[in-house]
Amino acid sequence: MKTQSPDHKQTLNDHKRDHTYWKSFEDLNDTPEFKQALQTEFMSSPLREESINEGAESASEGDKWARREFLKLMGASIALTTASGCIRRPVQKIVPYAMQPEEVVIGVSNWYTSTYFDGQEGLGLLIKSREGRPVHIQGNPSHPLNKGAVSSRAQASLLSLYDPERLQGPKRNLLNEKRTNKETVSVSWEDLDKKAVEELKKASVYILTGNISSPATQAVIDDFNKAFGAQQVVWEPLAHDDITEGQLASYGDSNVPFYRFDKAKTIVSIDADFLGSWLSPVSFTRQFSSARKNIETMNRLISFDSTYSLTAANADLRFKIKPSMQLTVVMGLISEVLVATGYAANEAIKTALIPYKNAAEQLKISQESFKKIADELLKNTGESLVVAGGLQTKTSDSLNLQIAVNLLNSILKNEGKTVLANKGNNRLNASYQAVQELVKKMNAGLVKTLIIYRANPLYALSKDLGFAQALKKVQTIIYAGDKMDETAQFCHLIATDNHALETWGDTEFASGVYSIHQPLIRTMYDTRSFQLSLMTWAYLANQGPKRLTSHETYYDYLRDFWKEEMAPKLAKGKDKEKDFESFWNDLLQSGIIGETAQTSPARNFKPEAFAHFKKRNMGSPLELALYTKVQIGDGALANIGWLQELPDPVTKIVWDNYACLSIKLATELKLNEGDLVEVKVHDKRINLPTHIQPGLHDEVVAVAVGYGRRAAGKVGNGVGEDAYVLATLENNKVLFSGLAVELKKIGKHYDLVTTQGHDAMEGRQIVVTATNKDYTKNKSANIHRHHTWSLWSGHHYNGHKWGMSVDLNSCTGCSACMTACQSENNIHVVGKKYVMQGREMHWIRIDRYYTGDVENAETVFQPIMCQHCDNAPCETVCPVAATVHSSEGLNEMLYNRCVGTRYCSNNCPYKVRRFNWFNYAKLIEKPMHMSLNPEVTVRPRGVMEKCTFCVQRIKEGKNIAKTEGRALKDGDIKVACETACPASAITFGDLNDKNSAVAKIFKSEERAYALLEEWYAKPSVRYLSKIKNNDKLTSKGSHA
Amino acid sequence: MSTQLNIPPMKRAQLVLGNKTLKEITDDICAPVESFPSKGWMALFVSAKTLFLFYILTIAMVVATGMGLLGVNHPVGWGTMIITFVFWVGIGHAGTLISAILFLFRQKWRTSVARSAEAMTVFAVMTAGIFPLIHTGRPWLDFWLFPYPNQRGPLWVNFRSPLLWDVFAISTYATVSTVFWFVGMIPDLATLKDRAQNKIRRTIYGALSLGWRGTAKNWSHYEMVYLILAGLSTPLVISVHTIVSFDFAVSNLPGWHTTIFPPYFVAGAIFSGFAMVITLMTLMRMGWPKFKDYITIDHMEVMNKIIMMTGLMVGYAYGSEFLIAWYSGNIYEQYVFFVSRAFGPYAWSYWIMICCNVVIPQLFWFKKLRRSIPVMFVVSIFVNIGMWFERFVITVTSLHRDFLPSNWGQYAWSMYDTAILVGSFGMFFTIFLLYLRVFPAISIAEIKPVMNVGKDNDSDNHSGSGSDNHNQGGH
Repeated sequence: MKTQSPDHKQTLNDHKRDHTYWKSFEDLNDTPEFKQALQTEFMSSPLREESINEGAESASEGDKWARREFLKLMGASIALTTASGCIRRPVQKIVPYAMQPEEVVIGVSNWYTSTYFDGQEGLGLLIKSREGRPVHIQGNPSHPLNKGAVSSRAQASLLSLYDPERLQGPKRNLLNEKRTNKETVSVSWEDLDKKAVEELKKASVYILTGNISSPATQAVIDDFNKAFGAQQVVWEPLAHDDITEGQLASYGDSNVPFYRFDKAKTIVSIDADFLGSWLSPVSFTRQFSSARKNIETMNRLISFDSTYSLTAANADLRFKIKPSMQLTVVMGLISEVLVATGYAANEAIKTALIPYKNAAEQLKISQESFKKIADELLKNTGESLVVAGGLQTKTSDSLNLQIAVNLLNSILKNEGKTVLANKGNNRLNASYQAVQELVKKMNAGLVKTLIIYRANPLYALSKDLGFAQALKKVQTIIYAGDKMDETAQFCHLIATDNHALETWGDTEFASGVYSIHQPLIRTMYDTRSFQLSLMTWAYLANQGPKRLTSHETYYDYLRDFWKEEMAPKLAKGKDKEKDFESFWNDLLQSGIIGETAQTSPARNFKPEAFAHFKKRNMGSPLELALYTKVQIGDGALANIGWLQELPDPVTKIVWDNYACLSIKLATELKLNEGDLVEVKVHDKRINLPTHIQPGLHDEVVAVAVGYGRRAAGKVGNGVGEDAYVLATLENNKVLFSGLAVELKKIGKHYDLVTTQGHDAMEGRQIVVTATNKDYTKNKSANIHRHHTWSLWSGHHYNGHKWGMSVDLNSCTGCSACMTACQSENNIHVVGKKYVMQGREMHWIRIDRYYTGDVENAETVFQPIMCQHCDNAPCETVCPVAATVHSSEGLNEMLYNRCVGTRYCSNNCPYKVRRFNWFNYAKLIEKPMHMSLNPEVTVRPRGVMEKCTFCVQRIKEGKNIAKTEGRALKDGDIKVACETACPASAITFGDLNDKNSAVAKIFKSEERAYALLEEWYAKPSVRYLSKIKNNDKLTSKGSHA
Repeated sequence: MSTQLNIPPMKRAQLVLGNKTLKEITDDICAPVESFPSKGWMALFVSAKTLFLFYILTIAMVVATGMGLLGVNHPVGWGTMIITFVFWVGIGHAGTLISAILFLFRQKWRTSVARSAEAMTVFAVMTAGIFPLIHTGRPWLDFWLFPYPNQRGPLWVNFRSPLLWDVFAISTYATVSTVFWFVGMIPDLATLKDRAQNKIRRTIYGALSLGWRGTAKNWSHYEMVYLILAGLSTPLVISVHTIVSFDFAVSNLPGWHTTIFPPYFVAGAIFSGFAMVITLMTLMRMGWPKFKDYITIDHMEVMNKIIMMTGLMVGYAYGSEFLIAWYSGNIYEQYVFFVSRAFGPYAWSYWIMICCNVVIPQLFWFKKLRRSIPVMFVVSIFVNIGMWFERFVITVTSLHRDFLPSNWGQYAWSMYDTAILVGSFGMFFTIFLLYLRVFPAISIAEIKPVMNVGKDNDSDNHSGSGSDNHNQGGH
């Protein structure tokens, strides 16, 4: 839409003006002022070019609304008000603040730094608050670990704040003698405290917690322990005790080291899903893909895996194994490289290596490939990294595996270079050993009072440990959590904890890297932080160190803790002059203090670790491999719809877990996708639907934990089956994988729901993959470019022209962008039934295709969002012009105007449009509506919706630039998916700005191609081809 | 000329059997309107009406709850409603073809079937017309699809959208065919008025006959208007389904984006329309055996020949789509035709379509079969099934597997889809059954001039003298 040039109009008017009738003297006399007025009056139109008025140069020009337009708009708004009365829209009143809080401007968002910790992964956050409520979670760009990236779970934790089923005050369970009835009553904090203190005074107090990443919380617990002679037991369902024990045995210190995937040229992962669910996948993904940005020097990921994990899906070379082979891989590699490195191995090591001389043969991998991997590792000594871990490796050999991995890293001189002990995390000290001892004490009657904080042993702890039975011998159980979960139901007192977003705290995610955890909202209900509960009980009992009993709130404790203990330590040197107040404020603002390390002194491997080395797991014909999913993890957040409806990155299945079987195994057992099968480990059995997973080892049954919650809430209850029950206690060790498993076909079918209808690309140019060798010959390798032409010159974009590029070589498929989009754009969750009918609402989706032969299928990912085509097929077919082209190249969707013919969706070659089949907004239960982003319309029933390129962020960025009186810079506007992406795969910007990152990609990046280019919709999105760094090791040659 | 061959002169088949007098004709045709309904009619009507009420209820539920009740989804954005819409619009075509095009070509045999065929058109378009309105996400805003001056800017419709052309095409077609049908009925309505036994009847038919007196001037004007309307309707026969086909052909979806669609859709529409005429005429002949003298086996045979011909045209179109898909070298289109349609998850629907539309009408090559009422009835039902499936194949199979395989899905057929499809028949038959009892189902005025066609010359006098005061269409 263009306004005509004023000159042109002027001349027309000069000729046409006739003075038979005149309306004023100015008109009659035809003064120049009058002519000018005549022009300006009609010049301004709501349809004028947007970018004319933007930027410092022309901010004042043409910005004033003419009277006529003002009247028009007034009229329109009155008409709208009346119209809205007709369609009975609910009347809502906006009441202004009587006392406007400082820093809160209605309509302007505030951002606060905070953190997220889920028991293993820690992330620095930047949380958006609108009118006092958190609405969107992003990563903190200054945090050295995640640097602005964020995981799906961290973002989705927002919804747990607004979970309608969160406990709203202290409770008491009326447990009978056998503790079978579950009647719950509300109590006052006074009564609860009185009762708790009474019990605590009886001594024999134990505190069961998950990993505590907070120094101050740890201090409170330690103080409390002193006060009541209590003991802390740390346990997590996904405890990394194999790593800590392995480190202890190999090097003498029991922390989880800090890994540098960005420094490693060759990465060998043995079932460590570091890109998906192992330790801290967000920062690992960031590191991993940063080392793949430069194709010439990109790293190589070699994966040996027993579950088709996200890491496996991103591997340059992938080998399927079963859990009992993990040790064989590492020992085999050690024996291949040992001599060449000149490592003086002792007798124990040499003896241990004897059975692995022919490891490749045992693994059924060609000797040549295996040798090449070893050579590769040798070549990159000090620049390689071998990792193993996760539930998949929790076999009877898990400690051996860790020791072997440590030895291999030490031999390869990676220790101190890619494995850094000094910046490791010594707060991940949860262990199954500790909880086993606790159970023993409980059974012996040595535990009178047990405080459980943020742990759910009655769900996630193996039944073999007999925790539930032992719990009956404990006199009083106090639970500090915010949900009536599986464990809370068996506790006497529930000291309802705040949500993480309601509480102060601090964190240390790597040694010396500290953050302050800020609350984003005042406690919504009558809840109290766990720390304050401990402090209150100590105060009431009048026991314990002074600092525990003298603070009125945990915030005061935290501040004093930082003032006295942390600040003197951290504020040394340059900050010495500053007082604590400014140190504290700086810390709150940046959210972070401390740096991650580049190197670390190399520790010496202790050969005596091999003294008792003996392979225990000899393998079985069919082995169990339990694993954690990227989205659900240990199952703590199972009640969040966003996560349940987030498709698994590899299987693309939502709302379920299942038994993954290889094609061959499924054929042997005559199982089809979705057929129920009984999975039996010893005497434990669960029924699961079959998922046929291409590329899985034929002797593995892979099952995800974290499902089958019984008391997670309405959303999470009964989704999938609880696979934790398959974990087995053997030789005093809880094992998750490598267990012998039996399968029995039940003969019933169950609907597994996937968001992707087809797994193959059918030979179309969709995801372009090339190898590094192809790339050296031709940077546009495998991209077939089409000659396109048109009779029409196309739209002209005089101001901005928004565009996006997606680097498929960086994208790992982790799906954090999907959750970011869902949170930013108020996208509804529709539930399993409707996903099955093809009604999921995601605006951005990650397509996953398998390539190569089905037995060893490789995987590629492709994020697809609205491509904002210049020749948008959707725009021409809408009968009511509800989807139109903006002057900045955006394909805009006008919800108000849409009548819902769905023609646009039919005509969209990328099928990115989503329709509101029902009135989803009506189903939002209070207080879930508080999580909605007020900047984005909540769509009513019957309208189409789709990715807007976060138009609200574009507007916000432009407004900020305008207010600051400057032109918009590249990077001012970051869309939600781009911000969340740990791999920095998404680049957004102005294509008309020649210096913007995205314009450069469009212009000169040779890997860039437009999806369905030949269809000539002229999308504003470019994909960068994926490069597999594999040709040196495979004889397959180039991959199409 | 030069050589005298001993060939008996060509003899035309009689258009009206039974040596009727003019009065007999009037009596025969007015009988259904003037007698108490039979049990058969009542049974049909009650079931059709029940279905119709059920249909209204279903629509109410869909409008109140949302389109999600039906099987439409992502990627299959259009489903039962659009399929059934195209189906009914197609049915409508035969009526106008018979009444307008055959009129202009002076095909006298058309007279006895024209009225009911055109009624079928009007009712089919009515049935069809509901679907575009209720298939939208927010049906209460459907008026936005019409270009009218408004206070929203003014905000106009998007004239580039084929759906908008559809709005014009369907509304024009509905208007013109209704007017044409009604104008054709005026002399007969006057006859009914004259024969009326009570005042109410007399008043209503009197009003409907618009003061028809049967004067020469009346007739002169009437003939002219009828001719003009026939001329106006003729291009519409071609244009309406052409534009309906644009809904598909103008989009860029493989399987829809096809230049053959306009002629293919028109041929298909005539094909299905004639099949529906056969179905209805068979039922009418059963209901009122006297109609057998007017709607003769010869009539049925002619229509069966058209069915066979258009069936072949449709079959040719099916075949040429494969050729073009192959010739174009377009991998997406090739996938749709060579993999997805004929051998994909919906292959059954494709083969039902081929069977019903191409194979079964081949029976009409045999004269015996095309003159057999039971055979033609069964074939016509099959053709109707086949033509519904043709639209199903076009709509669903093209959408369910398009460009990016990740999108591929299935149509999630629900019980509401069944209810909508079956219910629309309830609506159509309710109206058609009422029509049979309210209006003369055969044109009295037009049948009389052709009653002598094919008769021996010597019987001319007989029929001429047999006319009493019942002139053509009243006084």
